[in-house]
Amino acid sequence: MKLNVVNVLIPIIAIVFIFALWVLFAGQSPIIQPISYNHKVHIEEAGLECIDCHKYAESMTRASIPNIDLCEDCHGDEPISKSPEEKKLIEFIEQKQNIPWKQIYSVPDHVYFSHRRHVVIGELNCSNCHGNVSELTAPAQYPFLIPSMGNCIDCHKQLKITNDCLACHF
Amino acid sequence: MSKWAMVIDLDKCTGCGDCIAACKIENNIAIVDPEEANSGRVMFWIEMVSVYEGEFPNIKIKRFPKPCFHCENPPCTKVCPVHATYKNDEGLVGQIYHRCIGCRYCMVACPYTVKVFNWYEPEWPVEFRKCFNPDVSVRTKGVVEKCSFCAHRLIKVKEEVDLEGRDIQDGDYMPACAESCPADAIYFGDLENKESKVYNLAKSSRAKREMENLGTEPKVVYLSKRE
Ligand code: HEC
Ligand code: HEC
Ligand code: HEC
Ligand code: HEC
Ligand code: HEC
Repeated sequence: MKLNVVNVLIPIIAIVFIFALWVLFAGQSPIIQPISYNHKVHIEEAGLECIDCHKYAESMTRASIPNIDLCEDCHGDEPISKSPEEKKLIEFIEQKQNIPWKQIYSVPDHVYFSHRRHVVIGELNCSNCHGNVSELTAPAQYPFLIPSMGNCIDCHKQLKITNDCLACHF
Repeated sequence: MSKWAMVIDLDKCTGCGDCIAACKIENNIAIVDPEEANSGRVMFWIEMVSVYEGEFPNIKIKRFPKPCFHCENPPCTKVCPVHATYKNDEGLVGQIYHRCIGCRYCMVACPYTVKVFNWYEPEWPVEFRKCFNPDVSVRTKGVVEKCSFCAHRLIKVKEEVDLEGRDIQDGDYMPACAESCPADAIYFGDLENKESKVYNLAKSSRAKREMENLGTEPKVVYLSKRE
């Protein structure tokens, strides 16, 4: 029997193509937070600033993500909104359980990134790297600027800051 | 531009080994089991070398600590096929672990044999695993590592100094070994700064450089009255 090359090749190409698409999209699945936290409300109505919650953004390498011990200050037993998301929060607070936030922005452990360096000395705004967070009514599902080596280096090149490997890698 | 260098005063050094312990902890260096260590796979970034001289019973023991020499003209960087080891503008010889492909050419090229290879996934006793230094990444199997002059400390010092709006001064930046030495035998500083201790000590008549004839221009200088 003679093999028909086209008949064999087309299904193979199709399978490879579908697999490639699947890999491409699976790698970018959105990150869903346990509570749909609303940045806009807290900045506009509660009058908070980034530093009130991300306490170490100007003094350390990590900015830190706040948890129930901070939310407790305003969200107690009585809900202050009609939002079902707030009910979830109150449940966490009653059970004294930390909210398992997922971190969207992160660099691997062999990379040194310092918020203090960029925010205080470099005088950058949070929005340079995180986008307009104060307009977010739901948690970001994708990073605004992916913390990849290419993105770090691009900005450093533009602003004429060192791109020596030993500045970022230990 | 700074040029970082170390001076080790062997007339002060007692060979106690504090520098070695401090370095191991500071840099999350794997602890190799004794059998493997005997076959030459022991991991040190700074090592205590013992040299025995004379005939029994008149033996003299010379002990000296040996870190990476951060040569001005390093033989190791020239053979790296992937640019994982290189000399930066401040004279530090860097080793970028995630770039390293583990070919070990650099280990062969180094005349001072200060580079070590991770033959296995690095291991520690359980108690150690809880107290890693977060500033230094844990290496993986199959990469070469070596003394970095604690470059992670330099980047932090630079940040502190910039916040205070001043220049870096002699003594701001100290690797863990120099800081821990109980005899103050290890000096560290900038050779371009004429006020620094190392600048003046490196010119002393006691100063000796290992294998000077190779032209590597090591930036670790030993001080000793003995030959
Ligand atoms: C009331 C406290 C609060 C305030 C004020 C606040 N945030 Fe947040 N922020 C959070 C919480 C809670 C999360 C985690 C949930 C999420 O990702 O939305 C978070 C997440 C983030 C993240 C994503 C971190 C990650 O990697 O997952 C960024 C970036 C961020 N905030 C930036 C800002 C900026 C910029 C401001 C000021 C404009 C700000 N935040 C103000 C509480 C706050
Ligand atoms: C300074 C007080 C304050 C703090 C601290 C605070 N909140 Fe709020 N929060 C508010 C106010 C005010 C509202 C708006 C109520 C309304 O809808 O009028 C709100 C609303 C909410 C809502 C419902 C909003 C919506 O529309 O979806 C959630 C969810 C919430 N907060 C979560 C949190 C979490 C999580 C924390 C801790 C990281 C936190 N809050 C800390 C004051 C605060
Ligand atoms: C130069 C870019 C840049 C700027 C400017 C910046 N960030 Fe970040 N941010 C990052 C990167 C990169 C990470 C991941 C860091 C990591 O994994 O250690 C991050 C992580 C975070 C996180 C989550 C993890 C954590 O605890 O660090 C928060 C929250 C955050 N940033 C808030 C802020 C706030 C608030 C500001 C403004 C005051 C700010 N960032 C400014 C790049 C930036
Ligand atoms: C939006 C631009 C921008 C991005 C993106 C950025 N940086 Fe920077 N970075 C700066 C600026 C500005 C400075 C200089 C601060 C100063 O004046 O010292 C800096 C300085 C640094 C330094 C200190 C350099 C020195 O001279 O000692 C390090 C380390 C660093 N960045 C790491 C990173 C890493 C890692 C990333 C990616 C995750 C990153 N940066 C992304 C703007 C950026
Ligand atoms: C401005 C900061 C910065 C500089 C300078 C820098 N890198 Fe990176 N590098 C990063 C970041 C951030 C990552 C993590 C990227 C990611 O996770 O996607 C990274 C990742 C890497 C990786 C990939 C590790 C892996 O597991 O895939 C290698 C290899 C690497 N860097 C080598 C180098 C070398 C070699 C140099 C010098 C020529 C260098 N880097 C300079 C920030 C930097």
